[in-house]
Amino acid sequence: MFINSVILLLQEILEAALLISVLLVITNLFHDIWGRSFVLRKTWIFYALILGCAGAWLYALVTPTVSEWFDYVGQEVVNSLIHLVSLGFLILLSWVAPSNYFSDKTSQRAQLVIASMVVIVLLALVREGSEILLYLGGVTSQSENVVPVLSGAVIGAGIGLSCGVILYYGLTSLSHTWAFRVCLLLLAFVCGNIASQIVMLLTQADWLPYTAIAWDTAGLLPENSITGRLLYALIGYEATPSILQAVCYGLAMLIIIFGPLFRLAWPGILAKNVEQ
Amino acid sequence: MRVEVLLELNLERRNKMKNYIATILMSLSLLFVSSLASAAAVEIELVIKDHLFFPAEVEVPAGQKVKLRIINQDPTPEEFESYELNREKVIAGNRQTVIFIGPLSPGEYPFFGEFYPKTAQGKVIAK
Repeated sequence: MFINSVILLLQEILEAALLISVLLVITNLFHDIWGRSFVLRKTWIFYALILGCAGAWLYALVTPTVSEWFDYVGQEVVNSLIHLVSLGFLILLSWVAPSNYFSDKTSQRAQLVIASMVVIVLLALVREGSEILLYLGGVTSQSENVVPVLSGAVIGAGIGLSCGVILYYGLTSLSHTWAFRVCLLLLAFVCGNIASQIVMLLTQADWLPYTAIAWDTAGLLPENSITGRLLYALIGYEATPSILQAVCYGLAMLIIIFGPLFRLAWPGILAKNVEQ
Repeated sequence: MRVEVLLELNLERRNKMKNYIATILMSLSLLFVSSLASAAAVEIELVIKDHLFFPAEVEVPAGQKVKLRIINQDPTPEEFESYELNREKVIAGNRQTVIFIGPLSPGEYPFFGEFYPKTAQGKVIAK
């Protein structure tokens, strides 16, 4: 029970911690491009954390009911909807936030960016947190499990959070240009992962047609190996993705990579702004 | 003269675009129809009790979509997970759920309960 609890918590927390670290670093970088209003509002993370935890608890409470909707595939439908909304806000962040429309409206830009970040983190926490709560709530109903499961949970969560903190400070120690580039690349992976999850969920619910397996790398890197699990949590690695999953993963990545925010990161615009 | 040629070129290009779009739409609708056609999936039941799967070996027809109805008779939630089937779903205590799998090529596809992986193990065998 102990090891299982460590692994489960680590996996779920790592996914959310990666996203939060990247978004926090991006907030810092936005400060360098667009000015102070971003750093002043860095407290967004506290609102997102509080709302996210409350949301996760609520969603865990209604999960048994939700999963009976739409002839027992309600969980897939609602989860893919949650994924879809976060994907929408991630695209908003990389396409609308940098637009020239806001060139003399810095505070509106900041509001838009912060609101999207709160929603993205909130939804990530609802997704991952509700699963954690369901697990902990169920397993600890047997009293002999309480100590090993909770201690495992604390350790797993601790490792996951530390990874997030290390990533945050690792990224901030990079030069601004490179931090921006790495962040956006990670963001593109996050979006690809979300898109592929949506396809997986809707196929599982039979709302999307079955498509054949695109490739099989189970022999090369099994999904249940430590590296495989880590990569699953970080970039959504799957050994046998379906063709539709692979296509949507690629498309979502391309949407971010060809977005204005991504282009902003590459031609060294940032360096000029920092010098000023 | 030139304008006409350009217009013609433009028309040609537009027609090409139309053709492309039509092909994409056709193939999408085909995909959709084919998914509807095979909608009549075989239904198979799987029970979770005392953190074990019954039956632990689920035989399914290969090449066919299967509706897996999982009935959790334990009071605790469980998460059905299979890397090989690409499936993952939480099932609350004393509830049931549905997961669609396949069409599968013949072979074995292990699955497990992520919340109690020591005991909750099983596999789908497609024949």
